[in-house]
Amino acid sequence: MSSKMDTIWSKLDRKATAISEFTMRQYRTRVSTWAIMIAAFLALFLMLLFYAEAMNSEVEAIDNDNDGLFNEDDFDWDNLGAYNSSVGFDDDGDCTNRTTVSQRDTNDNNIECDIKIVWNAISEEWVIEGDIGVDEDPDEEKYVKEAGHRAFILGIGKFGIVYLLGIFLPLFLATGLVREEMSSGTMHYMLAKPIARGEILLYRIIGYLGIVWPYIIVICTLLCVFTGLMGPGDGFFRWADIGVWMSIAWATMMVTLVYGMIFCTFGILWKNGVVLSIIFAVWELGMAFVALFSGGDSPIQHFSVIGWGLTIVDSGVAMAWADNNTLITMGLWGGGHENMDWWSGFSENEPLPGAEPLSAFTGNPGLGISNWLSFILSTLILIVQAAVTWFIGQAIFKGKEVD
Amino acid sequence: MPDLDQHGHAETKEWTPDVKAPVVMLDRVSKQYGRINALNGVSLGISGGVTGILGMNGAGKSTLFKLLMGKLRASSGAVRLFGTDPWRNSAPYSRVGFVPEHEKLHDWMTAFDFVVTFARLYGLTRDEAKVEATRVLDFVDLKDVMHKKIGQYSKGMRQRVKIAHALVNDPDLIILDEPLQGCDPLARTTIMNVIKELGRMGRTVLVSSHILHEIERITEQIVILHRGRVVALGNSHAIREMLDQHPHKILLECNKPKDVAKSIMDIDEVTGLHFVSDGKLLIETRHLGVVHQQLPDIIVQNGHQVTGIDNPDDDLQSILRYLTGGF
Repeated sequence: MSSKMDTIWSKLDRKATAISEFTMRQYRTRVSTWAIMIAAFLALFLMLLFYAEAMNSEVEAIDNDNDGLFNEDDFDWDNLGAYNSSVGFDDDGDCTNRTTVSQRDTNDNNIECDIKIVWNAISEEWVIEGDIGVDEDPDEEKYVKEAGHRAFILGIGKFGIVYLLGIFLPLFLATGLVREEMSSGTMHYMLAKPIARGEILLYRIIGYLGIVWPYIIVICTLLCVFTGLMGPGDGFFRWADIGVWMSIAWATMMVTLVYGMIFCTFGILWKNGVVLSIIFAVWELGMAFVALFSGGDSPIQHFSVIGWGLTIVDSGVAMAWADNNTLITMGLWGGGHENMDWWSGFSENEPLPGAEPLSAFTGNPGLGISNWLSFILSTLILIVQAAVTWFIGQAIFKGKEVD
Repeated sequence: MPDLDQHGHAETKEWTPDVKAPVVMLDRVSKQYGRINALNGVSLGISGGVTGILGMNGAGKSTLFKLLMGKLRASSGAVRLFGTDPWRNSAPYSRVGFVPEHEKLHDWMTAFDFVVTFARLYGLTRDEAKVEATRVLDFVDLKDVMHKKIGQYSKGMRQRVKIAHALVNDPDLIILDEPLQGCDPLARTTIMNVIKELGRMGRTVLVSSHILHEIERITEQIVILHRGRVVALGNSHAIREMLDQHPHKILLECNKPKDVAKSIMDIDEVTGLHFVSDGKLLIETRHLGVVHQQLPDIIVQNGHQVTGIDNPDDDLQSILRYLTGGF
């Protein structure tokens, strides 16, 4: 087996590695490459300062149930992961002290003093049906830090990294992969060799990924370590977050592959290909917002690259933070205390602080399949997008007269 | 599909050159850019030896080479390298070395790394490429400085790096687009010797230039291009002889032009004498070589003081004027 691998490697270690290594070295010697990477790094770590400040600020407790006590009946944190079933614990005894069984089981699920979370198929949302008096005065500070921590990771992960980093790195680094060589005349050296142009395109992209992918991994690892140490929780590190950061990094890697291929092809197609790239980036921004506002399961977002990239993150989040949807639902329910909306006349639950941002940044994979499958499917679709673009790109390149 | 074999065949199918076909063959090739005819019905067949492609700027030399290198597609006619059409097929380049006219190089690399990188594109392994790169850099006399960045090189050295990179696969056909342009005399001589050596080794070499005497120092086999057409083709002596049928001019700078004129009248081949300005004498002749042969003796014998001798005509432009009847 190893000799077989050796043969494959020694075959590839000619043209393929020559061009990829050449590309990586070329990019490493350019000031512009470092400028872009350092600028993005600084921007992301500036955001981390806001996060650190939020994590270290104190949140005033609210007496949600108006009994003069604060945070005396907090959420049943240990069981939040048990989604679509019974959660909740009556810490202050105002449910368990009730006299009859029917008073202790007002949600009729034959479990006394619990909260039932049910899926409402008509409104397509999770609904809290709690027994009266259970988890009625949650700990705001604990909630807002947990929800705020997750909302920060998702916000910066999906939009700061998967979208912004995912589109700007290729915009600056991939659009000129072939075009700059064509304009400067150095492409003549490569084109005069017995190598198909499609291969040049492919190996140039691999070289570009050799710069961009390690950078993405470093950025995500650093953010994972910082937020994992600074974030709320009993342990010294938030191990569960690693899965989320891995899916953010993976999504960004896939997205930079597809964008890189598309932008590089635009560069081959037209000497001002960057204009096409920017137009495309605007479309992707629109699709990123569609994915955000639809909660991640709009069919339109699938006509984009970013839509599939964000589905990877959503699938990863659903696996790494299995309690995330319960946390959102509980936070939006806020202990069950309703406030009258004077404009509409309806009573609405008062959400806990942090619940709405977390809800906004969380998406559902929305493919109607398991999280693992949607993770793999989204990845495959992005790879197919890259492959199809490569095929188109090499066809354009092949028929291009290089003067 | 990507070439997994990576052994120098760009396309998946094996490429076998046609042994009977000429190395370079053009059959009535034309190339238009919009309404401009860069090449117009050019037919050439070249195998072996050094061939000089001579022409003014814009004559079509670079267009010709770009067609051969598959960078441009012929508007009509057939282009063949070893019997294969190079357009959209890079397989023949496993036997070709190309030195582009472009000044631009990868200045951030060392000459060694540059040659090694591009050697690997011929399908060489890392180790093979290093051996070959050292060999060719030695051949062009750059071995001592090959680990310096190309950015620090002089023009002549840069040209030699380009030549070295084109020789690394031991090609049968070497195409050099204006390799002497911008080089100092020493570099010129080195490069000319390299080219002559390649010719002696039996390779087919195409060299373009716009300076006739440069090409004459390298080879006798010449193709003259003018406005996209082949206007002369063959041995440089034959072309010279053809040119000798037309009047040539020699400009002498001397202190007593009239005295010099009297002595020169004795040469039969001189057809006219003009006093251009103070101290300048213009000689007209149909046989430049004969006059040049006799002139020094006459000057010395008669004790004339000549400060300068120039052939205002001996540039490609006037030769082309003769060849094309002044159009």
